[in-house]
Amino acid sequence: MIGSSLSLSGVEVKRGSRAVLNIKNLQIPSGAFVGIVGTNGAGKTTLLKICSGLIKPNRGTIKFDNRDLSKLSCWSKSNLRKHIGYIPQAIEYNSELPFTLREVVTMGQISAKPLLTHLKKQDYLIVDDWINKLGLAGLSNQTFRTLSGGEQQKTLIARAMAQEPTILMLDEPCSNLDFNWKYQITEIIDQLYRQTNITILMVSHDTNLLPPSCGRIVLLHEGNLLADGDAEDVFASNALETAYQCRIEMLNIGGRRYAINKKQTLEP
Amino acid sequence: MDSYFYLVIVAGLIAGASTGLLGVYIVGMRIPFIGTCISHAAMAGFIYGSFLTFENATLTAVSPVLGGITASVMAALSLAAIRPDKTRMDTNVGLAIVFCLMLGLTFLGIGLNQGSRSEMLGLLWGNILFTDRSGTITIAVMALVLVLFSHVFNKELKVLLFSRSIAAATGIHERFVYGLFLILCGIILAVNLPLVGGLMIFSLVTCPAAAAYRICTGHKSVVITATIFGMLSALIGFLVSYYLNLPTGACIVIVSATIFGLSAVYRAIRSGAD
Repeated sequence: MIGSSLSLSGVEVKRGSRAVLNIKNLQIPSGAFVGIVGTNGAGKTTLLKICSGLIKPNRGTIKFDNRDLSKLSCWSKSNLRKHIGYIPQAIEYNSELPFTLREVVTMGQISAKPLLTHLKKQDYLIVDDWINKLGLAGLSNQTFRTLSGGEQQKTLIARAMAQEPTILMLDEPCSNLDFNWKYQITEIIDQLYRQTNITILMVSHDTNLLPPSCGRIVLLHEGNLLADGDAEDVFASNALETAYQCRIEMLNIGGRRYAINKKQTLEP
Repeated sequence: MDSYFYLVIVAGLIAGASTGLLGVYIVGMRIPFIGTCISHAAMAGFIYGSFLTFENATLTAVSPVLGGITASVMAALSLAAIRPDKTRMDTNVGLAIVFCLMLGLTFLGIGLNQGSRSEMLGLLWGNILFTDRSGTITIAVMALVLVLFSHVFNKELKVLLFSRSIAAATGIHERFVYGLFLILCGIILAVNLPLVGGLMIFSLVTCPAAAAYRICTGHKSVVITATIFGMLSALIGFLVSYYLNLPTGACIVIVSATIFGLSAVYRAIRSGAD
């Protein structure tokens, strides 16, 4: 698989008179794993949505695989989004419907296909392949609503991958999960990246949820790009302290970066 | 029963089936209020359409129906303006606002009408006993269009049901399919209105589908079960009203709600057994 590239220049998104996102220049090459970090309301989800063409910026240019999104029709933009594997926050999907796990994963292949076509046998082979890869085969016919939060999240990852995307956009994929599931989900994302090398944009306000393979950090603060670069460099700088408005100590344990608020650590 | 009652039963079965199937999508998308909202828009359209008179008698006769369809399609499409990715307003709040406007226009129309008010208010309750062959053919044709639509766009509709956000973000052509669905919703509710009535259509859209969602596993079984529950509501409701000499609309509403109640009990028992 070849990952998609993104290029943003002079992008501004306004809500009313307030600029919620203001990015002068951001280049994401094919095959990069970028962690988008920032406080609540920093503009992380907005950044994902403008990259996928769901929100039009008030000004600026966004290029998806060198194609200017502003010059594409609504229909063409929709076709372009067939390359985007999207994992939303829990609030954005209806988990109460009696879809089976396999039906949910099949939705990935549905997204990849044009209108007025039906899925074929080989499409279902791709679906079953991803169900197996994520260790969900035993739950295939169980309804999505009866799965645990972690199993649901694994199912959504299988759905996104069954779409055979060139870019994976994850919006806080570990919210509402306990710490063991958080670890498992980020391990899966890590393995997926190492195996496929597709481009990944992962939004998280928690630095320790970014897998070790996430080599680049985009730090947003009040809609502005506060830092952008190699993960270790960004975490070594004081940019994180500026964004989160507290003294931070970074711990690296097994490739994962834990941001500790110094005010909350116990004095020896 | 004479042959006319068989026509009534057929009309009821078709209305029950099409509203039951439509309900799968409406309930699944968590917008059940759309039933009552669009039916009131259709009522307003019917009333204002009946004010129009043309030299051509046929045109004058169909203008209320055309008015109803136009108003309900416009009301349905206004909901398409509420985007899942730019959510500043919940769809149900939008529905409530359109509903209030349509209710106001309906009663303004009734107030302005010089003729029989009971005929206008009859649209609220509908009357399955007043169905005729052409009305039955119209709802049958629209039911077929709905079946065709749900078959052709089956895969896209599934993703829309699960999440409009995922559908929009992953290239499902969500606006196109959702827009088509809303148009179809407006037309089907409008053509069923004289038969089923503005208040009863709400229960036929909501209860059979909600019951099917309680007890089924998998999308296909929900579609089939909701359609059958809709038909059963209309059939049993009509037969009860016929043999016990009770109001037909009320009987159908009570039967559809009872089916939901039984489904909820069945699910509770099954969950307990598991």
